[in-house]
Amino acid sequence: MAVTAKPLSGPAAGLSERDDPGEHLMLDPRPRGEMNSLVMESMHATSWRFWAVTALLVLVVAVCLVAAWGYLIANGLGVSGANRPSYWEMFLVNTVFWIGIAHAGTFVSALLRVLKVEFRRPFTRAAELMTAFALINVGLSVFMHLGRVWLFYWLIPYPNERGLWPNFHSPLAWDFLAISTYLVASTMYLILPLIPDVAMARDRSTGWRKLLYRILAVGFRGTESEWVHLKTAMNIFAFTVLPIMFTVSTIVSWDFAMASNRPGWSSSIFGPYFVVGAVHSGIGAVVMVLYVIRKTMKSMNYFIRIEHFDALGKLMLVMSILWAYFFFNDYMVPWYGGDAFAKALQKFIESGPLSWILFTVVLCNAVIPWLTLWNKKIRRFPGALFVIGLLINVGMWFERYMIIPLSLTINRMPFTWRIYVPKVEIPLTVGTIALFILLYMVASRLIPLVPVWEVQEGQMMHSLRKVGKAMATSTTEIE
Amino acid sequence: MPTNSEQPQAKWGMVIDQDLCTGCQACVTACAMENNISFVGEEDAGYGRSMQWMRIERFWTGSYPEVTTGFQPMLCQQCGEAPCEPVCPVYASVHSESEQINVQVYNRCVGTRYCANNCPYQVREFNWRDYPRPEPLNNQLNPDVTVRRRGVMEKCTFCVQRIRRGEDQAAAEGREVLDGEVLPACAQACPANAITFGQLDDPQSRVSQMARSERGYKQLEDLGTLPRVTYLKGGSSHGGNG
Amino acid sequence: MAETITLLALFEDLEPAAEGIERLHTLGLADEQINVISGIPVMERILGRPKQHSKIPLLALAGAVGGAGLGLFFAYGTPLLFPVYVGGQGLLPVPPAIIVVTELALLGLLVFTFLGVFFESYLPAYGPLDYVPGISDGKIAVLFSCPAGERKKFVEALTASGAESVKPAEAQKL
Repeated sequence: MAVTAKPLSGPAAGLSERDDPGEHLMLDPRPRGEMNSLVMESMHATSWRFWAVTALLVLVVAVCLVAAWGYLIANGLGVSGANRPSYWEMFLVNTVFWIGIAHAGTFVSALLRVLKVEFRRPFTRAAELMTAFALINVGLSVFMHLGRVWLFYWLIPYPNERGLWPNFHSPLAWDFLAISTYLVASTMYLILPLIPDVAMARDRSTGWRKLLYRILAVGFRGTESEWVHLKTAMNIFAFTVLPIMFTVSTIVSWDFAMASNRPGWSSSIFGPYFVVGAVHSGIGAVVMVLYVIRKTMKSMNYFIRIEHFDALGKLMLVMSILWAYFFFNDYMVPWYGGDAFAKALQKFIESGPLSWILFTVVLCNAVIPWLTLWNKKIRRFPGALFVIGLLINVGMWFERYMIIPLSLTINRMPFTWRIYVPKVEIPLTVGTIALFILLYMVASRLIPLVPVWEVQEGQMMHSLRKVGKAMATSTTEIE
Repeated sequence: MPTNSEQPQAKWGMVIDQDLCTGCQACVTACAMENNISFVGEEDAGYGRSMQWMRIERFWTGSYPEVTTGFQPMLCQQCGEAPCEPVCPVYASVHSESEQINVQVYNRCVGTRYCANNCPYQVREFNWRDYPRPEPLNNQLNPDVTVRRRGVMEKCTFCVQRIRRGEDQAAAEGREVLDGEVLPACAQACPANAITFGQLDDPQSRVSQMARSERGYKQLEDLGTLPRVTYLKGGSSHGGNG
Repeated sequence: MAETITLLALFEDLEPAAEGIERLHTLGLADEQINVISGIPVMERILGRPKQHSKIPLLALAGAVGGAGLGLFFAYGTPLLFPVYVGGQGLLPVPPAIIVVTELALLGLLVFTFLGVFFESYLPAYGPLDYVPGISDGKIAVLFSCPAGERKKFVEALTASGAESVKPAEAQKL
C-alpha cells in the first residue's frame, strides 16, 4: 500500500520462480499512484481501431435498432414473426437473455463480495457495467413486444384521473416492479464504489474530463466519515442485491409458469431453473467481456490476470453442472408423467423439424463445458474461455428460444399448432447486442474500469508468510 | 362477491350441437360481419393470424375409405374462472359481474398478449396490423361495435351489443328478457340450428335444458375454467358423424 | 480565546500516520479535533482512531418499512379503491401481495441506503474543501486544529514522526 510497496511475489521478494509463478494480483502490489496511472491510461488510450469499431456499432444501432424499431412501431407486430399460437416471440427470448447477462454483474459484484472471494476485486465494476447496460436492453426488449408501446406507462402504478391501477395479480405487473427495482438497485450499486475512483480521476484530469469527474465525484475526499458511510452502504447493498437478483429471475420465470395450462410451461421448477440459467449465461458473458478488456485496453493485463480466468472457468463449470441438474428435472417429470400434450411437446422438441435447437442447447451448455473446463490448461488460456463463454451464451439464448416460441407451438388445441418464423426480430436482436457493446465501449473510456481503491485494499490485506519450507498466502480481515 | 371457493353463477350461455354442425362456416361469416372483424388476407391467415372470433376446427378420423369428418366450432368459452383475466397487467381482460362473461376492454389493451398465451382454447385474436377497409367496404361496418386498431386484443363477446340491446328493450318495456329474444350472430345464422343461446341462470330456458343433455360435455373441463359453452356430441348413434 | 488554526499533515504510509496521531493525542488533542483523509478505507484500529458508526442501517430499515407500506398499498389499497374481479380469484389475494411487498421493501431499503450515503456525508459538496490531490494517490492526510500559538510544537512533533509536510489546510475547489 502507499508508496513504499514491497513486492510480495517474484524474485524481488526472495522467491524462486518455481515457488511463485508471479501471477497473483493481490500479491503483486504497486504504488497506488502507479496503479492510478495505469487505469487513467487505459481510459485515455484510444486507437483508430476503437473509433472504427465505435462507428460501425453506431451504424448497426441506427439501422438495426432505431430504424427497425421505428418500422415495427409504425406497422404493428405483423412485421414480426409472432402468430397463433406463438404469441410471444424472440423479444421475450431477448428479455430473459439480457436478464441473464445482468445477473453476471450482480453475481460477481454482490455474491463474491459477500463470500469474501478476493479474486473478484479487479473486475467488479466491469461486471456491474454489464448489469446496467443489460438491463437497458431488457427494458427495450420488453417495449418491443408491446402491441401499443406508446401506452407502456399504463403499467406504472400512479394515481390518475381514470382511477385505474395496474393489475397486481399479473406476473407482468410484478415483472415491472422487479425489473425497475433491479435496474435502480444495480445503478446505485454501480455508483457507490465508483465515487472514490471518480474522485481519483478528478484529481488527475484536466479539461472537460475534470469537469465531468468533478460533478460525478460530488466532492468526495476520503474522510473517515465518508468511508464509513460508503462501506456500510456497500455492505448493505451487497447483501440486499442478492435477494433482488433471485426474485427478479424468479418473477420473470413466472411469466411462463403462471400459464399453468400450457404444456411445457406448467412447471414449478421454473423459478430456480431460470435463476441458475441466468447466472450460467452471465458468467460466460463476464469472461467474454474480461477477455476483450484485457486484450484491447492498455495496461489492463496488470489487473486482469490468468488467475481470474482460471477461477471464473471453475465457476462456469459449476454453473453448467447446476444448470444441467435443473434442466434434467424440468425434462424428467413431464417425460414420466403421461400428460398427452406435454409428451407431444417433448416429441416435437426432440424430433420435430427444429430439433437442432435442443441439440445446440445441450451441446453448448453442458457437453462443451464438461469436456473442457476441468482441464487447467484450457482454463488458463483466455482465448479458449472466450470461445466457451460465447458458446454458453449461444446455448442459453437457444434454451430460452426453446422455452418460449418453441414450447408455445404445442398447446391443447392441435388445430392451432404452427411453427414460428422470426422476421423483424432478427435485426432488432442484433441491434440490442450492438447497443450493449457500444454503451460498454463508450463507458470504458469515460469511467475508470477497475476499482483501484478496492484492489489496493485487497493488496493491503494479503501477505506471504513462511510455513515450513513454503511461502503461503495469508489474508487478514481488516474490516 | 365471488371468491375462489364459490362457483360464479352463470348467466349467458351457449350450447353447440356438434352432431348437427355441417361445417358450413355461416356462423364464422355472420360473426365477422356483425363484429367488424378485419380481413387479414391469405398470407397472414395462412401464417396463423386469422382473426376469426368463431372458427370451425375440422378433424379427419379414420383412414380411406372409412374417413369421417368432425367439425368443432371453437369460440371464447366465457370462462367463469378465466385464465386470461388475472394475467393482463392493465386490467384489459376482466369479468363482467352482471353478464358473467369475460369482457375485453379494447381501449385499455397495450398488447402484451399474455391473455392469449394463457387461453387454453386459443380463442383470442390479436390485431397484428391495421388491416385496410377500402371504400366501399367501410359501409358494411356495424355501428354498434367498435373498430379495433393494431396492437389490441379481441375475441368473441357473445355479441354483447345484442345482449345490451335486448336488456335495454326489456327494461324499457318493463319486463324480463324472454328466452330466445337475444341471439348472437352465429346462432342467428346457423342453418342447422346447431347453436343455442340463452340464460343459464333460468333452469327452464332452452339452453339450460340442452346443457343438461346426456350428450353434453365441456371442452378441457379438467382445467377448471368453468366454460359457459356446452358441446353436444353423441356420435353416429345420435345422427352425427363418427 | 486563542485563535485555532487548521493544519494538514501528509504522510506516505500507515505507520508514520499512526505514530503521528498518537503524538497529537499526547500533545492534548481529542479525537474529535482530528480527521483522517485517505485513498482507501483504513480500519480505525490501525490508526488508533475511535470506531466510527453510521446511521445508514437505520435509514435502510426505515426505507424497507416505507417500501413495504407502498407495496401493501399497491397490493391491497388499489383493489379496494377500484375493485375489478379477474379469473375467479379473490379481490385481496395473499401470494401476489407477498411478491409486491417484498420487491418494494427491497427497493425502499436500497434507495434509502443510497441516499443515506450522500445525506450522512453532506455530499454533494461543491464548495471549497480541505484536500490534497496526493490523497487519491495513496497518501494519508491528518487534518487537525490546534491553537495558533503552539503551531511550531505540533509541526515539529509530526515531522519527527515522519510527516512529508505539515501545512495550513487550504480549502480549495476540488
